[in-house]
Amino acid sequence: MTAPETVVPTGKSGIYMPRRSLLMRIADMRAWLFLVVLIAFFEVWSRSAYGVSFILNTYNLQSISVFATAPLLLALGQTFVIISAGIDLSLGFVMGLASVIAAHVANYAALQLGLPPLAAMLVGMLTGIAMTIIPGLVNGWLIAHLKVPPFIGTLGMYGVARGAAYLFAGGMTISVSNSWYSTIGNGRVLGIPVLVILVAIACLIMHYLLSQTRFGQHTYAMGASQAAARRAGINVKKLTMKIYLLSGIMAGVAGVLYTGRFSAGAAQAGEPLLLDSIAAVVIGGASLFGGSGTILGTVAGALVIAVIQYGLVFINVEPFWQFIAVGTVIIISVLVDQTQRRFTGGRQVE
Amino acid sequence: MSETILSVRNVSKHFGGVQALNKVSFDIHPGEVVALAGDNGAGKSTVIKAISGVFRYDEGDIELDGRRIAFSSPQEARENGIETIYQDLALADNLSIGANIFLGREPMTRLFGFLPVIDRKMMAEAARVTMEKLDFHVSRLDAPVSAFSGGQRQAVAIGRAMYWNARLVIMDEPTAALGVPEQRKVISLIQSLKAQGKGIIFISHNLRDIFEVADRIVVFRRGENAGERIPGETTGDEIVRLMVGK
Amino acid sequence: MERRSFVKFMGAAGLAAPAILTTGRAAAQDKPTIALIPGLTADGFYVTMHKGAQAAAEAVGAQLIYQGAAEWNVSLQVPILDAVIAKKPAAILIAPNDKTQMIEPLRKAHDAGIAVVCVDTFIGSGVFQTGAGDADFPISYVASDNVLGGRMAARALAAAIGEKGKVYVSNVKPGISTTDQREEGFKLEIAQHKDIEVLETQFNDDDANKAAAQFQAVLGRVPDLAGVFGANLFSAGGTANGAKQAGVAGKVKMAGFDAPESIVAQLKDGTFELTIAQHPAEIGYFGFMAAYAHATGNPVPTHIGTGFTVMTAANIDDPNVSRYLYKSS
Repeated sequence: MTAPETVVPTGKSGIYMPRRSLLMRIADMRAWLFLVVLIAFFEVWSRSAYGVSFILNTYNLQSISVFATAPLLLALGQTFVIISAGIDLSLGFVMGLASVIAAHVANYAALQLGLPPLAAMLVGMLTGIAMTIIPGLVNGWLIAHLKVPPFIGTLGMYGVARGAAYLFAGGMTISVSNSWYSTIGNGRVLGIPVLVILVAIACLIMHYLLSQTRFGQHTYAMGASQAAARRAGINVKKLTMKIYLLSGIMAGVAGVLYTGRFSAGAAQAGEPLLLDSIAAVVIGGASLFGGSGTILGTVAGALVIAVIQYGLVFINVEPFWQFIAVGTVIIISVLVDQTQRRFTGGRQVE
Repeated sequence: MSETILSVRNVSKHFGGVQALNKVSFDIHPGEVVALAGDNGAGKSTVIKAISGVFRYDEGDIELDGRRIAFSSPQEARENGIETIYQDLALADNLSIGANIFLGREPMTRLFGFLPVIDRKMMAEAARVTMEKLDFHVSRLDAPVSAFSGGQRQAVAIGRAMYWNARLVIMDEPTAALGVPEQRKVISLIQSLKAQGKGIIFISHNLRDIFEVADRIVVFRRGENAGERIPGETTGDEIVRLMVGK
Repeated sequence: MERRSFVKFMGAAGLAAPAILTTGRAAAQDKPTIALIPGLTADGFYVTMHKGAQAAAEAVGAQLIYQGAAEWNVSLQVPILDAVIAKKPAAILIAPNDKTQMIEPLRKAHDAGIAVVCVDTFIGSGVFQTGAGDADFPISYVASDNVLGGRMAARALAAAIGEKGKVYVSNVKPGISTTDQREEGFKLEIAQHKDIEVLETQFNDDDANKAAAQFQAVLGRVPDLAGVFGANLFSAGGTANGAKQAGVAGKVKMAGFDAPESIVAQLKDGTFELTIAQHPAEIGYFGFMAAYAHATGNPVPTHIGTGFTVMTAANIDDPNVSRYLYKSS
């Protein structure tokens, strides 16, 4: 049942995307580029001033990678949130809450229930992580169902989680004496810190979720246009809940690992890391307007921050330069993003 | 053409005390473009929302291929072959053509035989084939649709309707956000949908577009049928008179 | 020493007070109400200080109000101060969150006839009742002598590293009166030890993760690093973790500051060589007593310095040492 008499579009309407220019592709990889430039800078300085290599140095690699783990864990969940055009300000204290609860439960399991250290640790870690389901779901619910802007909703949760963490901690750091737990936080396997292995696995899982599953695909779609996602039949409310749940859980993982590493649960464990986590995501190429960002970029962003902070101490530069350096990289990153948008956004390619 | 894709019979809808639709009726046949004309508030949007499941209608019947339908969500309408294309381009700009065509129902495959992953190869191939049918030849299928012009993006939306084998395509002001050359392109895309035997409901403020693509014009006024005309047998003035009720 | 004589005075007052209650004054006479506003509530140091003040209140049969914010922040402390002023206590003991910004809020208390006693931290120069400056109105400053604490840490650390080598201070950030003074005292004392070199101070923003990385970075550049002084709990704990990560725990000697109960295990396993315990209960006790003495018409010294205890693995089991651990409950 065709209608051959109807007008068929005349020929020359093909869409030919030009090969993306080299500059554009470099812009996409800017976080890794920053990283290379920074490492080169520290390498030259370190060799000329101290006669040692900065990067061909197992010790430095171990130190920097361990340093990056905590902000990176927060940044992984934050990446999903920011791609969905949201923000999660509660992560720092959700991490602290998980840290404190893991410490209490691991102690209770060992001292009151008489569990062996490995079991006590696992019970503590799982309880700490499980606890973060509550703030994650409440965040998602406020934002998805009550239409509270993410900035305000998670700011509220920031306060609630802070209060809860301090309450559970009773104003102290909760020390944990558990050989297994300490090994998770400080041990090595084949010279690689256990923390780094665990966080690398977390990165792989998050990369898979974001780039290879419907959940990730819909997160991107929602960040670009909630209306488009909704019209395509995506349950945007449910998706929002899932995203904030994931981000809370990653903060929980960060919290329980903190407890292992420092043999103590601390309410304020994650608070100084929150801004670094957002900075890592932005340096990694995500836009705070939503719709773009990758796990690979976030990993690079977290490493950029860690390398700057570690490197400046290593080469013995006045510590306040750290703030200037990190701030400068964020500004450059955002400028590159804006420029890139101007060149590709809505551009007619014909 | 005796078979009917969609039949709207005496459909009414009220919101509180406001009668938005009062016993409106019209039919759509395969390969037919029916334009809905009417002033703002005449009931055009209300009737397409009733058809596409945005809300339920109160009285009357809507039949799709002879079956009475009353969808509770656009998702359900889409699963039953009714696609809606909006003026504000309901696409995720940051995703590729394929990802947009498949948004919400992405095909999955298994990596290493066990790990479920989105089948991007299949999406890209389907995008290429679909867009070629619309005479768009895309060289970079992984480019985000933000790289394309408004008309090209509208083509992607139409391609989505085509790929999912919609029986009925509802186009709500599909040219409103576009420049003139782009509008021409969309009009020609409508022709190719028509050539494939789809039923099309076309809503526009632009009488020129209506006269160019429509096989029939159904005019609404204050939620009621105000008349039905064949473009070749009427004039713009007459349609306007029907719309304003003089 | 000023401190010693005041201790004697207070001992006398403590004994005398109940006698005054039963004999000198009418039984109906209300005892003064005295408020304590800590720097933050969520901290074992202030929890312990509260206990000291409570003990003093019970000793003289006076009333103690305890109100504070969960964290160190001027804009949280001011409303609490205002609420306490509204209750019109005879005196307010406070650990001001900032030495400049808290001057005017505290002047309101002073103007309302409420005596102000600074505990732990201070406003202005910390030298009061001199007629100089605009912040000399508090009647007394009761605190650990943090310069002395820094000196004690330096002496103990110098001995631990065999009087030679390189050390540095891990500190929170500049501008906090107490930690600044600890660093100052530490450097003053180390200057007396000819073979010890002090490297650049590292500021960690109270982030244990950063303190750890900074230790590792310094050690990477200075492999013969001998010791570190962590000027507060997170600085010390983070630095110690850096040493653990770098595999030099126990080799690079850690001197900490403050003594939560968790420090015991860390002293015993060598994470810390030593820590300097303040006597927060003493600060609370003598702060309260100073306010009480003032409220009952007795003169009070303008500065009361409380002591420290050096804790090591060797002495921590001694009850005379372990009683200075900060108790959470």
